[in-house]
Amino acid sequence: MAKEQKTSGAAAGAAAFKTFTPMAARPAPKDLTGVTAWLRTNLFSSVPSALLTFLGLWIAWSVLSALVSWGWVNAVFQASSRRECLDKVGLSGACWPGVVVWIPNLIYGLYPKDQVWRINWGALLLIVWLLPLWLPRVQSKIIIGFSTVLLFPLLASYLFLGGPKGWIWTALIAVGLTGFLWSLLTAASESLGGGPFLRLAARLMGAKTAEEEAQRGRLALLGLFAIAVLLVTQWNLDFVPTRVWGGLFLTLVISGFAITFSLPAGIILALGRRSKMPVISLLCTTFIELFRSVPLITILFMFNTMLPLFLPAGVEVNQLLRAIVAVCLFASAYMAEIVRGGLQAIPRGQYEAASAMGLGYWQSTSLIIMPQALKIMIPNIVGIFIGLLKDTTLVSIVGLFDLLSMARAIARDPGWIGLFLEPMFFITVVYFIFCFAMSQYSMSLEKRLGAGERR
Amino acid sequence: MLKTILSFVAMTAAAAATAPAQAQATLNQVKARGSLNCQVGTPTAGFYALAADGTWSGMDVDMCRAVAAAVFNDPKKVQFQSVTSAVRFTSLANGESDMLSRTTTWTAVRDTQLGLEFAGINFYDGQGLMVPKAANIKSAKELNNATVCVLTGTTTELNIADFYRANNMTFKAVTAENENVLITTYLGGGCDVYTNDKSGLAAIRSAFPKPDEHMILPETISKEPLGPVVRHGDQNWGDIVRWTLNGLIEAEEGGVTSANVDEMLKSTNPAIKRLLGVEGNIGEGMGLTKDFMVRVIKGVGNYGEIYERNVGAKTPVNIPRDGSLNALWTKGGILYAPPFR
Repeated sequence: MAKEQKTSGAAAGAAAFKTFTPMAARPAPKDLTGVTAWLRTNLFSSVPSALLTFLGLWIAWSVLSALVSWGWVNAVFQASSRRECLDKVGLSGACWPGVVVWIPNLIYGLYPKDQVWRINWGALLLIVWLLPLWLPRVQSKIIIGFSTVLLFPLLASYLFLGGPKGWIWTALIAVGLTGFLWSLLTAASESLGGGPFLRLAARLMGAKTAEEEAQRGRLALLGLFAIAVLLVTQWNLDFVPTRVWGGLFLTLVISGFAITFSLPAGIILALGRRSKMPVISLLCTTFIELFRSVPLITILFMFNTMLPLFLPAGVEVNQLLRAIVAVCLFASAYMAEIVRGGLQAIPRGQYEAASAMGLGYWQSTSLIIMPQALKIMIPNIVGIFIGLLKDTTLVSIVGLFDLLSMARAIARDPGWIGLFLEPMFFITVVYFIFCFAMSQYSMSLEKRLGAGERR
Repeated sequence: MLKTILSFVAMTAAAAATAPAQAQATLNQVKARGSLNCQVGTPTAGFYALAADGTWSGMDVDMCRAVAAAVFNDPKKVQFQSVTSAVRFTSLANGESDMLSRTTTWTAVRDTQLGLEFAGINFYDGQGLMVPKAANIKSAKELNNATVCVLTGTTTELNIADFYRANNMTFKAVTAENENVLITTYLGGGCDVYTNDKSGLAAIRSAFPKPDEHMILPETISKEPLGPVVRHGDQNWGDIVRWTLNGLIEAEEGGVTSANVDEMLKSTNPAIKRLLGVEGNIGEGMGLTKDFMVRVIKGVGNYGEIYERNVGAKTPVNIPRDGSLNALWTKGGILYAPPFR
């Protein structure tokens, strides 16, 4: 109300005095605006530029029209075998039914088809678990994020693997489930304004002082764990050996493990390499240099075929586990060098300022140095992640059916014999979606943290 | 280079692995595990192919199932391990696979130096040549100065060179690492001849837009006897695989099929009686039961049934059997099982 009065007063004042009012801006000359002007300045500014424009248009047209006529106009969408496709259109059009009937295999591998819901539920579980990170009113985002990274694998591995479980296994799954329940309840209570869930629970149980709150909060967590144990013991799933895991699912499992493991391991290795303690520094340097100077395919090969030789007869380490460990170790060696690069970009002044504030090594590293270094490293880290997703295709050498080897198998299916272009096209699109999403996420993260500008 | 390294690794692995392998017999390990670890290759139509529903099928897959049926009463108790050919022998030598059934050629070097034992031959393959019918070529001898499409880094490449040298002819090789690239080149007229193992040629031709416009020449320029392989050192396990294979061939010769095996138990033919364990005790001597071949034939059929189901005339792969080496010896082929007695 008061504001409105003030502006109307100012307007009255302006009317009383003859003041300067600028003329309305005239429209820009016609040949500088509109479509034609834009075309002239950007595409046809000179003869060579016009020629290049036409050349580009021609290339784009010939590629696109060929693609559309192959993949859509001439393509076959209804057929029961490749022979049928070939008899209809020969090689001039794509034969999509072959890819369509193989889609379950491409996504889930040879996972029993009546158990596939477990993979879907696993994916859903992950999404629900991570959802609070995007809810604005949730405060415990960091700890929820950590709980996902650390505890989701426990829960998911039983969901995907199933089978009989001993008491240690039961306890671990229950820990995973507790983490999930806690995250959900915390997110719910915080977004409804009740504060952290454990404090809320403690207050409901009649806690008054902070000490009592902490005590009863722990009690509440224990209760949650008891409920989880009860649920887990009632929960029985059929055993699905990792041998039949495959397709996109396997690709995501391997790269997911490698991605989540490599970042913390890389940080530790990089800090170790820069350490002033000779033993630690030597160990870390040896590890990094050893794994970085050997191709991934060699490491996979060593882990898969040489490892059983050194183990006593009868001891079998799961093949998937061996591949995951190999990829993780390889990825962390690369990550370590990227982190070290990031650490070196932090000016000495930051270290000195941190010491001057009286911060010790761990405090200055975790509060001052690492946050700044990680921010600069985002593009490189995401680069490694994208590389990892694609490197997992190498596991086909040890007989795991990742997305690529599944796509290759289509050409050898007697019903779809020789069909290789269409599956490759399909998985290219799948890989593109995942890699592009990752790179877009890193861009948005960079923008939000202002990593590009602030230096 | 890679091949040299890998074969070296396979040799050391073989040397290192014989000790633990002998410590516990393969048969006992398989029985204790409850399933057979059978190694096949990356999918190949007709021999070890994956179907859209996730099941394995093929000549070599059925060989695995036959051994599983011989050991257990269930041809489904097989875990198929699909391994690239680069690591196939290492994976057998280190104990990961119990047997290998994956179009592996029986050669002297492999048999004597890699710690392997070939348990027989379940398919006689050989390198052949395919040409467009329009070229009007009737024999490989007419192919002087031809351009030949051949996969690089394979024995196929060496065989074709040997063939041309032996016949005092010259050729120009068009090589590629990837089969699909090579096929596209051939179909586009980039070479006059496409060479590969004959079983592979049949499968490749069946995926052409117009298969009838191409023909496989009668000549076979190399010997590729393919068969199941086991580790050296466990003779009993080798016997089981060998006699399961021989039993399949013997069953076809005696006319025992998956449909009539129960009636055949009453047969008066002594050879069939011994094969099915009605007489004699061959199965128990190997650590199996007397009637192991009954289970095998019920589970996968005889050799002829396996052939027709996987690579026969009614399948897309369609490798003709009559008159080929893979016909029974009684029908002009060289498929011949030693007697069951």
